[in-house]
Amino acid sequence: MFYGKVIESSKGSLSLDKAQQFIASEKCGASLFFIGTVRNHNDNKNVTGITYDSHDAMVEKSFKEIFEEASEKLTIEHPAVYIEHAKGYIPLGGLSIIIAVAAKHRSQAYDLSRYIIEEIKKKTPIWKKEHYDDNQSKWLKGTPLIDPSS
Amino acid sequence: MKIKIELFGDARDFSDQDYLEITLPELSSIKEVRENLIDFIKNKYPDNKNYLEIVRCSAFANEHNEIVQEHYHLSTHSKLSIIPPVGGG
Repeated sequence: MFYGKVIESSKGSLSLDKAQQFIASEKCGASLFFIGTVRNHNDNKNVTGITYDSHDAMVEKSFKEIFEEASEKLTIEHPAVYIEHAKGYIPLGGLSIIIAVAAKHRSQAYDLSRYIIEEIKKKTPIWKKEHYDDNQSKWLKGTPLIDPSS
Repeated sequence: MKIKIELFGDARDFSDQDYLEITLPELSSIKEVRENLIDFIKNKYPDNKNYLEIVRCSAFANEHNEIVQEHYHLSTHSKLSIIPPVGGG
């Protein structure tokens, strides 16, 4: 079972309730919720918020591919995955991502959750622009999807 | 032919609009798109090495939301997205 969506912050917010309802299953003994939030400090600067940009269609495709890869590479019984990522401005403490997973056993749920967030960081077309208390802002450096040297 | 490139992430700073339009010879490839954008940056932002680095490190996606390689050939009315280095979560 899989669900993955980008949520525009001006139109709605990420929902832990929906995530919990989606992954609930009598076949699963373990549920995990990974929640990413905007923190107040990065690179010696006081952060006031982050603007997230995304290529929505590619992001939702990438989420599905990551779920399918995880299902092939990891041994997960009855996996259920719910991913939401925010787009637009998110203030300090606001939710940027929810990855809710359920599996038969806890070790499977931990493996699945960790796999998904690490792959999203490396592969999914999402970008962050940090805003600081001195009214400056900066796009954060990311991981290239190509090898620039080739 | 005219190619529309939708801008994302850091590359949004290249223009006030959400996209750039470039003109290329027929059957051009991503390699020529990248070279054209490098020329565009050198002309419009001559002192901005960061923008050049973004173009050099970016992938490109086609209208089917697939990452395309350097030799991928474009056709008239092709639409591309520039995909700078990613980092969500």
